[in-house]
Amino acid sequence: MSASMSVALDGGIIIPSALGLAGLGVLFGLALAVASKTFRTGTDPRIEEITDLLPGVNCGSCGFPGCSGYAEALVKGTAEFGLCSPCSTDAVAKIAALLGKEVAASEKKVAFLHCAGGKVAKRSFLYDGIQTCAAANLVAGGDLACEFGCPAFYDCVRACPFDAIEIDEIGMPCVNARKCVGCGVCVEACPKNLFEIVPEKKTILIACSNTERGKFVRLVCDIGCIGCAKCAKTCQQNAIEMQEGLAVIYYDKCTVCGECLAVCPKNIIHNFADTAPSSSTSHDEKAA
Amino acid sequence: MSFSAIFAILISVIFVNNFVFARFLGLCPYLGVSKDTSSAIGMGMAVIFVMTMASIVTWPLYRYFLSPFGLERVLRTTSFILVIASLVQFIEMLLQKVNPALYKALGIYLPIITTNCAILGVAVLNIDTFFKDGNPLPGSYLGSIVQAFGAGLGFTLAMVLMSSVRERMEMANIPRSLQGVPIAFVTAGLMSMGFLGFSGLVK
Repeated sequence: MSASMSVALDGGIIIPSALGLAGLGVLFGLALAVASKTFRTGTDPRIEEITDLLPGVNCGSCGFPGCSGYAEALVKGTAEFGLCSPCSTDAVAKIAALLGKEVAASEKKVAFLHCAGGKVAKRSFLYDGIQTCAAANLVAGGDLACEFGCPAFYDCVRACPFDAIEIDEIGMPCVNARKCVGCGVCVEACPKNLFEIVPEKKTILIACSNTERGKFVRLVCDIGCIGCAKCAKTCQQNAIEMQEGLAVIYYDKCTVCGECLAVCPKNIIHNFADTAPSSSTSHDEKAA
Repeated sequence: MSFSAIFAILISVIFVNNFVFARFLGLCPYLGVSKDTSSAIGMGMAVIFVMTMASIVTWPLYRYFLSPFGLERVLRTTSFILVIASLVQFIEMLLQKVNPALYKALGIYLPIITTNCAILGVAVLNIDTFFKDGNPLPGSYLGSIVQAFGAGLGFTLAMVLMSSVRERMEMANIPRSLQGVPIAFVTAGLMSMGFLGFSGLVK
């Protein structure tokens, strides 16, 4: 060690080493400069610009490998506009301008969870396994008494790339419509298929997925759709249809009049327009 | 250089003196990129590639540039980093042009590991092993390349083992306070102790 120190401190070594390193640096710098010219790949600069305009979360809702993949497909012309649901309309307009195309304004969509049971819903057995919805679902469809309901192990919360799914006071995951961009990652994540991507403006939602007849629904849940069809009869637009024992809203017909809310005996039809976006499952706040 | 000597170098650097388990080099990608096996393998391949390339260029640099000018003591680390970084940068450009598929597979890992301590470690280790008083031992160029390749293999082995264990741990009921990196550190320590069993196998 002392030998190397004495060499390092010797003035005679400084100049050759500095010159040597500078020489190496210049040599490699020049070589890289030449290489970058020689090996330049002819990429379209618009691909990079569009990638910057896209949200950059790589959620995959467009069906392409990440945002850069979608940008490439857009420039090549093999992809359509509006596939990127997290994209703001502003950014879509900019991208369209970049490519010299026109694009129709798309409607913002958000995810909605068709269940309101949460941790307080009835359980049929004690589940003590891996604490994920996917794992619990493998054990006889989960510990929840209702075989359609939310297992409440929060696979969706973990899957959401935008932190838009929150857990409310009864342990129910609920979508924060302000953060949600409707990318559909939660739809894939939920083993019970409870999420639906709905237009944000159509705020009337049915918080149940149980298609059983009323008697069997009552056995497993206090707040399930019993299939009484009162809402379907009330709706003047014929926007609600009974599918087996479950009321389903068709959003192309729904006018958000709110008449169905008043007649539902189980109070499971909600209007979220007036409530805070985070409290999407509060049962008492259902002002029409 | 005989076959048995090459074999001994490989066994030594893969098992006995594994870069991760015995020398504790390259721990950053070892813990950072070992969450799933596919990315661990990608990282391992990139490390094998860069280590081999690095030893191919640093040996001549030391033998024909640093040694003759008496700069080997002061400039070794600095010039090695410079050369390796430039080389990897160059290869990245070359790959992007010549083989885009390979570039997509290795592309994201190459810049991360360019100046990794394991890469520099293998270059410096080659010099320490195969040079005596600034003069190369017989068969040292081939030996250093084999050693670098083996070091990459050993690193890949460590990455694959670790990622496989971590994939299994995803399903385990781990106490909340130990989830994530803490349990990974505990695992890494236990695996390192396991590899102590190879010590003394090769001189």
